[in-house]
Amino acid sequence: MSNVLAVQKVIERILNLLAFLLTAGRPVTADEIRATVAGYDQPTDDAFHRMFERDKDLLRRLGIPLELAPTDGWQVEHGYMVDREAYALPDPGLTDDERAALWLAAEVVRLGGHASAPDALLKLGGAPVTASTEPLAASLAEGSADLGTVFLGLAERRFVLFGYRDKRRRVAPYGLVHRRGHWYLVGAEGDQVKVFRMDKTSDVTADDQADAFARPEGFRAADAIPDTPWEAGGEDLVATVRFDSDMAWWARRQIGNRGTLEEEGDGVIVATMPVANPEAFIGWLLSFDDRAVLVGPPELRKRLVDRVAEGI
Amino acid sequence: MSSPRTAKRLNRILAMLPWVIANTGAGVDEVCERFGYTRRELAADLDLVFVCGLPGYGPGDLMVAYIDEDEVVVELADYFASPVRLTPPEALSLLAAGMALVSTAQAPPALESAVTKLQEVILGDDQEALVVDLSEPPLVGELRTAAANGAVVNIVYTAVGSGETSERDVEPWAVFTTLGNWYVRAFCRLAAAERVFRIDRIREVTVTGDVFTPPEEIPEPEIGYTPREEDVRALILLRDRARWVAEYFPVETVTDDTQGLVVRFSASDPLVIARLLIRLGRTAELLEGDDVEVVLAALKTRILARYAPAR
Repeated sequence: MSNVLAVQKVIERILNLLAFLLTAGRPVTADEIRATVAGYDQPTDDAFHRMFERDKDLLRRLGIPLELAPTDGWQVEHGYMVDREAYALPDPGLTDDERAALWLAAEVVRLGGHASAPDALLKLGGAPVTASTEPLAASLAEGSADLGTVFLGLAERRFVLFGYRDKRRRVAPYGLVHRRGHWYLVGAEGDQVKVFRMDKTSDVTADDQADAFARPEGFRAADAIPDTPWEAGGEDLVATVRFDSDMAWWARRQIGNRGTLEEEGDGVIVATMPVANPEAFIGWLLSFDDRAVLVGPPELRKRLVDRVAEGI
Repeated sequence: MSSPRTAKRLNRILAMLPWVIANTGAGVDEVCERFGYTRRELAADLDLVFVCGLPGYGPGDLMVAYIDEDEVVVELADYFASPVRLTPPEALSLLAAGMALVSTAQAPPALESAVTKLQEVILGDDQEALVVDLSEPPLVGELRTAAANGAVVNIVYTAVGSGETSERDVEPWAVFTTLGNWYVRAFCRLAAAERVFRIDRIREVTVTGDVFTPPEEIPEPEIGYTPREEDVRALILLRDRARWVAEYFPVETVTDDTQGLVVRFSASDPLVIARLLIRLGRTAELLEGDDVEVVLAALKTRILARYAPAR
């Protein structure tokens, strides 16, 4: 059989199966499918099961909710069903302009290596295909295979389980945040809200139970992720730094509104800023080479000097 | 497992049928444009649909699907009147792409309303649950406009490695972001070659009034760093808290054990490696690299001089 013909056979069989499952209104056993649905009439059990497994897998990959349910109250026998309500995409009511805008966004923004957005857009009613002329491209970090799983947990309020820093975790996902090139999961482990970097997680799975927790009222995931590394920590210091004129522009840009800036003449600026993580802060200051001087407080200044002097 | 091509084709059929059912009298051209079909492909898929349906598989059980002049006709297929729900990865990639563009403030109003509508059906009340923030540094907008208009710009740029500031005329081709940084890919007239500039290191952008024609095809942006013959090399031990370095810099892993990660680091300037080491502090250690050691010692002396007791 030629390849084209083989693909046609698979698609015909699956369309028949899906039509049957969507109209049956009850769970149907594999045996009934074999005997009833065109294309499944295989000479051996083995051949049928191989074929059926492959087709189930394909249906699920397309997002079709194929469930196993008991065929009667005694729960002796199980059959397959597709719930019509769960199958259907709730219509977001997009206009053609909105579809075209989404299409363009999906063209220029890549989520790792995944390009499933165009397939998704077809489900939403397609869009006129126009070549992107947008001189912009964005890539939202690699390693995103697990992001879909976390997103499922997020959208359906299921617990997610994963490995992180040598420990298995069970977390109620409250939010998924992309910032500064990384994806972060914000969620509750026990009664503590924590932040996990997605690229450090492993073996991510979502629990079967939907609606397993409630997100705290008014929770804002964005607020859980600090803007700069030195703002994430347990200490409560205020540092004063003098930046030389040639690096003042860079300091100004990096500090933004996270501190107060004063001009000192000749382009030198003095910044006063809160520091929660001294180690990260010192690391950042040292990236200015000798063009920034930590004026105070004295204990922070001593830490910086000790760190630089080490090994000399 | 069935091939991705089978999945793609089936996905398109299951998306096209509901649309045609909802838009009776739909024209062939419109269906083709909307779902990316050629007329021939559409006809082939409709032929397929025509032989499928419900058990019995006689007239009345099978779906009806064909092209009548320039109209697409689908009947007796009401069970396929709804498109299939999005899978979680599909929903995420669409929403994330839309939200990313909206966060750059360059999005058309149609995208903002599209994202709002999608958020409503996918996340319901939990709209704060997904946040995508590309936080554009200043000048991204100016450079994007220049790229769109083919305008030559003069930039004041401070090199990330050497820290040297220079002024040059460039032909901006495209702006892109990856791993949290924004870049502009351009033809640099000073170097007479293609260059990638980190936008947060650009201090000023001035439109020169000159115009250029961008290349027909702008190569895919990539910011890999290819080590060269004359590069400085160093062997560095990254302890656990410094492991991220291996993800951000083009390093070659030598060993990886409980002690940490040993990597070979190449750079055009030893100062790049020295600055990184001083930033990492005790979480990293220079194992090999005399050039870097000399530069690192000088860097430390330079910094400490600023903290010496008042003369």
